Amino acid sequence: MKAVCRDSINLRPNPNPGPAETWKFSDILSFDPAIREKWEKVRKYFFLRESTYDMTRRCNIRCEGCYYYQGDKAKSAGTEDPGQWQQLLENEKKRGITYVVLAGAEPSLVPDLLKVCHEQIPLGCIATNGLVPIDSDVDYRIHVSVWGNDEISRETRKAPHMLRRQIENYRDDPRAVFVYTFTRENIRQVHEVAGHLAKNDCRLTFNMFSAPEGYAGRLCHDAHSLYQVRRAMERVCRQYPDHVMFSPYHRVVHTHRLGLNDLFSCPYPRVNSSAEIGLGRSFRQYRTDLAWSRDDACCVPDTDCADCRHYAAGSAVVTSKMFRHAALPETFMAWLDYVDVYLAVWVQGYEKSPDLSPCYTSPPGHDLF
Amino acid sequence: MPHELTLEQTIKGVSAIVIEELKLEDVTPEIFDPDLDLIDEVGVDSMDLATVALVLQDEYGVPIDEDDYPKLKTIRLIAEYVLRNAAVKT
Repeated sequence: MKAVCRDSINLRPNPNPGPAETWKFSDILSFDPAIREKWEKVRKYFFLRESTYDMTRRCNIRCEGCYYYQGDKAKSAGTEDPGQWQQLLENEKKRGITYVVLAGAEPSLVPDLLKVCHEQIPLGCIATNGLVPIDSDVDYRIHVSVWGNDEISRETRKAPHMLRRQIENYRDDPRAVFVYTFTRENIRQVHEVAGHLAKNDCRLTFNMFSAPEGYAGRLCHDAHSLYQVRRAMERVCRQYPDHVMFSPYHRVVHTHRLGLNDLFSCPYPRVNSSAEIGLGRSFRQYRTDLAWSRDDACCVPDTDCADCRHYAAGSAVVTSKMFRHAALPETFMAWLDYVDVYLAVWVQGYEKSPDLSPCYTSPPGHDLF
Repeated sequence: MPHELTLEQTIKGVSAIVIEELKLEDVTPEIFDPDLDLIDEVGVDSMDLATVALVLQDEYGVPIDEDDYPKLKTIRLIAEYVLRNAAVKT
């Protein structure tokens, strides 16, 4: 089919967007053996059911625009009692949760709680600033947050030599994925940072700063910065293909003028009133006092939904929309590439396959970008 | 889809697809309870149900709306949906 270009890197929009009619799913799977192979690979992970947990009110740095310290989360009492956490995780397992995301404020400061969580639910991810190493017994993916070079980090995170310390702690750690958050202020610095990370054989993925509610500061993106980010991503992906985990479809949906909710309708309970199935039914976002509220339940609470391009949000929002992507081979390939990267970034031991589609593909029902 | 398909036949056909796609063990289309809640009692989640919906579209040639498939919680509901939409199509 002309609409699909797989043989060479082509960063321009797909020149032949394909027929308007909907394909049979079986025909899409038969279109190319690589499609079926990747489909069979990713569908083995459909059992993943996530919830997220703020672990402690404490953090060893204080970053501008930090999600944790927005809203009321940081005001909750909080418990660091391992017994209470063990009980919570046992209950979570009973209600079908198979994957945990351990986040705010800084999980590495509560190592005993991390072990308790890992003993109960062995699949998960820890979001950390990377300044305190996490015990190797905790075999979760570890996402080390990077917000620019050391100069920018010192300015926005008030911490010296962050990248150097992060690399020292996680250089040879197979759990680690460095997550570069693009703000409007640190776009050009990604080249320097990616170079350092690749030189140290560290893996990298991208996040987009998404404004917390009420924040309209200098880190927020605009149309021009979204374009600049996309171009920077293209260069870094091309330059370090063995170290960067980010598909062409990631670049489309995370730098699109519309946020993820407007593109795909976010399934998290905070904006999804249906509790019948999927994330709307099972997802919870626990605060440090082990309470949760449907009104706050999403992967990055207090984010302005209209501005949300967060990598964690995309991993759920885009992934959950398989049905609408399974209308054409090119959109399904883009979705498969996205899910393959999502699993490689979030699931310890999962290895990414080569992308099926190097083209930019429009999100279903929307223009490119 | 042949017009003469009955609800009972459709239930059997849908059961076979659900069993095959979800790799359910120890159950056949003949003994699958069509009123079993696939979500609460079988443990099916949204991605599984989306997969089933895609295969049903192929097998029966009826379009399934993205907003509809999450509501199709039992084999009987699915079969009725298929027959209803096949009738609309014809």
